[in-house]
Parts: sequence; C-alpha cells; structure tokens
Amino acid sequence: MRALLVWSSLVVVLGVVAVLGLSIGRGELSGQNGAVFLELRAWRIAAAALAGAALGMGGVLMQGLFRNPLASPDLLGTTAFALLGGQIVLVLVVLAGASLPLWLPAELLLPIGCLIGAAGALVGLLWLAERASGLTTVLVVGFLLAALGSSAGTLLTSLCRDQWELMRALQGLSLGGVDGTGPAQLALGAPLVLIAGMCAWGWGRALDVLLSGETEAAALGVDVALVRRWALIWTATLTAAAVALGGAAVFVGLIVPHVMRNLVGVTHRRLIPASALGGAVFLVACDNLARALPTIGELPLGVVTGLIGAPLFIVVLLRSRQELA
Amino acid sequence: MSDEAKSSMNDGVPLEPQASANTGQPQLSALTANTPVQAEAGGRRDASPALVISGLTIRHGERVVLEDVSLSAAMGQVTALIGPNGAGKSTLINAALGLLPCDHGSVHLLGQDLLRLDRRARARLVGYVPQRSRLSAPLPVREVVALGRYALGGSFGGVLGATRRAVDEALAAVDATPLAERRFNELSAGEAQRVLVARALAGGARTLLLDEPTAALDIGHALSLLALLRRLAANGCTVLVALHQLDEVRRVADHAVLLHHGRVATSGAPETVMTSPQLTAAFGVETDPVGALAFRLSTPRSSPVEPR
Repeated sequence: MRALLVWSSLVVVLGVVAVLGLSIGRGELSGQNGAVFLELRAWRIAAAALAGAALGMGGVLMQGLFRNPLASPDLLGTTAFALLGGQIVLVLVVLAGASLPLWLPAELLLPIGCLIGAAGALVGLLWLAERASGLTTVLVVGFLLAALGSSAGTLLTSLCRDQWELMRALQGLSLGGVDGTGPAQLALGAPLVLIAGMCAWGWGRALDVLLSGETEAAALGVDVALVRRWALIWTATLTAAAVALGGAAVFVGLIVPHVMRNLVGVTHRRLIPASALGGAVFLVACDNLARALPTIGELPLGVVTGLIGAPLFIVVLLRSRQELA
Repeated sequence: MSDEAKSSMNDGVPLEPQASANTGQPQLSALTANTPVQAEAGGRRDASPALVISGLTIRHGERVVLEDVSLSAAMGQVTALIGPNGAGKSTLINAALGLLPCDHGSVHLLGQDLLRLDRRARARLVGYVPQRSRLSAPLPVREVVALGRYALGGSFGGVLGATRRAVDEALAAVDATPLAERRFNELSAGEAQRVLVARALAGGARTLLLDEPTAALDIGHALSLLALLRRLAANGCTVLVALHQLDEVRRVADHAVLLHHGRVATSGAPETVMTSPQLTAAFGVETDPVGALAFRLSTPRSSPVEPR
C-alpha cells in the first residue's frame, strides 16, 4: 500500500518536473521555432528520464548483488568502463569513417560498446569479489576500476586532440548530458531499459533471498550462480543504456536506491520500480537545473549530479555506518 | 499419498502441490501444539530414521574433509552433531543440504534421494539455520520469514493470504509472534535465531539442519533455543543440529554423533558418547563428575522474546 503511494507520488512528481523541463532553457517557445525547441526538449527529457531510471535500477541491482548499500555502477567502475567502451566505439567509428556499412549506424554501435565495457568491468569485479576476503576489498577494487576506466578514457580523449569534433564528443560523453538525444537513441535505449528493468523485477524475490548471503539463499532454494549471472547482465545492460543515453551521470545509482529504500523498504519488487521512478525524477530535475542555472553555456549533466550527489553521498555514508558495522 | 491424506494436509496449510512431499510430517499449525515436552532430553523413544546419510565422502583437492560418513536422524528426535573445530560438522550440514558437491555417498529423506532433487524441491523438505545469518538488511521479520517460502514459488512476499498465514504460524511455532513487525537487523542474537527457525519452517520443511545455532548466544537464549528444538522435535520435526558446547548435547539431544577428522568416531546415546574414549581422543578432555556446573532455564519464560 505504502509502495503504491510512493510509486504514484513519484509518477506525479515526474510529470511535474517534465512539464517544468519543457518550459526551461534558452529559446523562446512562443517564437517561430517554438515547436522545434519543444520537440528537442521533449526528447532530452525523455532521455534523462530513461537514463535516470536505468541508473536507479542499476544501483539497486548492484547493491543487492554485492550485499552492500555503498555499491553503485559509478562507484565500482561499471559506469567508467561503459563510458570507455562507448568512447572506444566513437573513436573506431570516426576511424572507420565512410567504410562503416550503412546498416550499422553509430547510434547502434555506441550502446554495444557501452555494454561490452560495463559487462567486462562487472565480470572482473564479481570474479574478484568471490575471491576477496571482505566487502572493503571489493569496494577498494571497484574504486580502482573506476579510476582505471576514467584514466583510460582521458588518455583516449587526449590522444584525439587533433580531431576537435571527436574530442568534444568523447568529453561530452564523460561529462554526461542528454542534449542532442533524438528519437534514434531513444528507440534503442527505451527497450533496453524496459526489458532489463522488467527482468530485474522478475528476479526480485530471488534477489531478496540473496540478501541473506549465498549459503542461506542456496539452502532456501535459490540458484545463486544463475541469479548472480542474470543480475550482472541486467546491471550491465542498464548501465550501458544509461551511459549511451546520458553519458556519465554520477551518483544517481547510489543516492536514489538509498532514498527509495527509506520510503518503500528493501524488498526488490517494491524498490526496483521506486528507484526507476526516483532516478527518472532525479535526472530530469538535474537536467532542468543544468539548463536553468545562469552559467556560460549549459552545465554538463554529470557536473550537476556530482555537485548534488557528492554532499548527499556523505550523508548516506554517515547513515550507512551503522548498517555496515 | 491418498486423497484423504492430501485433503487433511490442506486443512491448516494452504494448498500447495509441493506439500505432498511432506508425507507423514506435521503441518505448520501442529508445531505450536503444546505437547508436553521435557525441558531436557530423556524422554527418548525409538524412532525410525527420517534423514539417512550414507558413505558421504568429500575431498577438497588432496585433502579429505569427510570420509565415509554415515549417520541417521530420526523423526521426532534431536540428533546432535559434535566434534572439535575442523572436524567437518559444517561441511556435513552443507553437504546434506546439497550445497557442496559430494565425491561419494547419498543423503535420503524419508526415502527420497535429496542430492538428486532440484534446489527448490530440496528446500521445501529441509530447512537450514546458520550459526548467524548474513542478512543485515533492515527487512521486517515478517518478510524475512516469508523468504522461507521462496521455494514454493509464485507468491508476492508477505502479501498473499496463504503466505501471511504460513508466516504467522511459523512465527507462532517459535514463539516469536511479537517480533513480526520489527526489523531483522534490530533483533538480539537469540531473537534472530528464532526468526531463522521460523523462516526454515515457513516453506514447509519439517527437517531442520542447524549449524551451531547457539554459538553466538548467551546461555539464557541458548537454552531457550534448545528447548524450542526439543519442542519442535516432540511435535514431529526431524532435527539435526551441530553443537559446540558439549553440555548442550546432553541437555537437548536424543542421539549424538561424534565427528573427528572427517569421520564418525562414535555415535549413540549422549551419555555414552560423552563418556567415550573417542570423545577424549577428539577433544582432549574427559567428563569431570565432580564440580560440574550446569544451568537450566529458571522459569518457563512466558515469551522468549524481549520487550522492545
């Protein structure tokens, strides 16, 4: 009952921030290009909502997978490697140039690159988690992976200094942003997010049982290896979709599940939809803010989520101390 | 299973096709029955074995962890598994649960080969209680107990009427009804163990495997949990429990099995095992008839769960 109330409230709030988003930004809606502005804003709002939903759900899955409230795709390097995968694809597309077959558009290649990067990082992390002595080791390794992925991305960007457009695209991806997203990206991203989200929801009961650790979950009838494998696949898919749509919007996957857990509890079948909606609200609101703040040019989305997310993260960290102890 | 038996099983417990596997085992509601139970072991009766482990051998590489272990646990009895650290008690329990690959041997429950069943079917027959749960999430107790019904499939944890009823009955069976709305991570160790027993019962299992469930408990909560195990056994459950404290064995068990270096060193009535030379060889101790200090619950506690 409480979950239904939270879900429906979030839908209303999402509607409000979306409508607000339509009216924010440079360019007069009443002018002759008003309809075009409106359409562009609608696409970016939809992209922000989808990316936010993906990150929110990805965060829930990772926190369940590692049984750690401090796990999230960006903290443990999944986002960084999704980003790196995406950046490598962008470079390859530019290098391939005209030789790229028509049936293989760049819009399709970007999510695939992100997916390979995210899955690679997650597989590596899980492999290590199974051998590591404690959660702290996993967290530290995750931090290292994140640093490695982002350093490699920066290296790639600096290697492309000579090609201004490519460098801008690479930087844009790493700073996060939903400007310029169109129907093609959304048509690819939406099914990924929807399918991965629904499948993750379907595994919700098993993920609940897995909160008790592997031995207890296996004794209760859960095929632990299978659940972990699929949770990993859905997490990688969601992170990849989010990065392909909105670049690296940090902290969403950490903050949103935490706030939602306080509202609907830890049960995955309530938490996953709540985090999807909460993530959508958070990212659309952040994108609104990125456009509304009086700065030279538009603030990158990742900067806004970082500026809001980091202080919130500290609060979360202090609150989690008891949970982690 | 006859139709009559089927219908009688469905009186108290919601209709679950899987429940048919529990032939001859008590319903959940029956576990709350106030069967006169001696607080301590002693009223032993000969019972037919329900859980039979035969010739179980497990190797980790070159190292033999369990070698040709055979034992049985009878329905309506508490069977204690004892042995020094590293003797293979936990490994044996995990193997019986089907969680570890076995090199040789079999585990049968009421004639069914447990190791050949799939995970869910096995989980519906055998419940597991760890020394201490790794569950640290702030999940309400009611939902923790509902997790025990995962193997039954389908239900939306704690919401459906059947699940709710089973959870209520499981909590009542372990005297933990007042805990239902509390968060699991806020319970005391003793309360948490009771909830884990309820979780094991909620899915329909009437055979409980417990891995040193009293190790983290103070003596009051430990005795209270042991009394609960005795009552569950008296109401028809099969209980195989690894115990660390030897005095607890005498108190609770109808039958004791001593493991040493991965083999069954001896087994039999607790008094016999406790005074056996094998026990001395395994632990390097012997029973001291003089000055023995023993405790029992001072009064039958009205509720073993503490007020908030």
